[in-house]
Amino acid sequence: MFEELSLHILDVAMNSIAAKARTVQIMVAEHARRDQLTIRIQDNGHGMDTATLQRVLADLTTAKRSRKKNIGLGLALLRQTAEMCDGKFEVRSAPRMGTTVTASMRLSHVDRPPLGDLNATILALCAANPAVDVQLHYLTDTEHFHFSSKEPAEKKVASPEGLRGEEKTKYEPGRTQEVESESAAAGCLA
Amino acid sequence: MNLEELKKLKVKAQRQVALREGNKKYRVVVSMGTSGIAAGAREVMKTMLDEIEKRGLEDIEVRVTGEVGLEDIEPVVRVEEASGEKTTYARLDAEKAKKIVAEHLEKGKKVDNLAVGKEKKPE
Repeated sequence: MFEELSLHILDVAMNSIAAKARTVQIMVAEHARRDQLTIRIQDNGHGMDTATLQRVLADLTTAKRSRKKNIGLGLALLRQTAEMCDGKFEVRSAPRMGTTVTASMRLSHVDRPPLGDLNATILALCAANPAVDVQLHYLTDTEHFHFSSKEPAEKKVASPEGLRGEEKTKYEPGRTQEVESESAAAGCLA
Repeated sequence: MNLEELKKLKVKAQRQVALREGNKKYRVVVSMGTSGIAAGAREVMKTMLDEIEKRGLEDIEVRVTGEVGLEDIEPVVRVEEASGEKTTYARLDAEKAKKIVAEHLEKGKKVDNLAVGKEKKPE
């Protein structure tokens, strides 16, 4: 059992990187008004067929063929945490269509683990594969924070002021994919 | 977790990206599978990154990998040298991680009491 939700996120997102995803989108929505916390990890990796999906959702199984030991607890652990905190857990996946893992829980639930060090999680994911674009959307009732690991690489010569300037709280309409995921998130929470 | 903290992330991630460029003297690979994470691999990695930065070591690359098959002795970190020599350190925590940075990565001296397995000498 992980003590922090950010460790769950790291664990699940490592699967995305193993699945050769080019983009991993992590959404954390903390809605105090609805008393709900939602975590979504969405990737464009190679995905899973129905049989594999059934298998990884069962406890103590893994889709990693190279493993002799029964590891592959990651999703089962997150499901356990979500269900323990009056939440829901869902995995959607199809071959070549990527995978989306969504876990929700009651924000005020006494057993809900703290979010923990989300920064360390993102740094670890950036270190896992520099070519992968790790994106983080952190939403609260009033604020929205967006981070993409591709941004600093492109704007490496930017001045500190420039870096601060790009920390925007509004998203641009040009970024269709992100906007879609945002509205999907909002729809799910509504 | 607050937004201010998250904003600092950008600067850190940028540094991470910068560290990956060019030939490095050492490559540090942290095992970050489920078992590693549960044992504290993320804190070990973070401590090493902070310590490397604090000491101003520049020719070191820190990478992360999945399960390495050493579940019972996690957290596991492998230090690879440019010569091809590899050292595996096991059962780490933040203090031990600092020691590895100070001894192995800065001074080039292996920390024998933390290392496991046989040394892999280059052919």
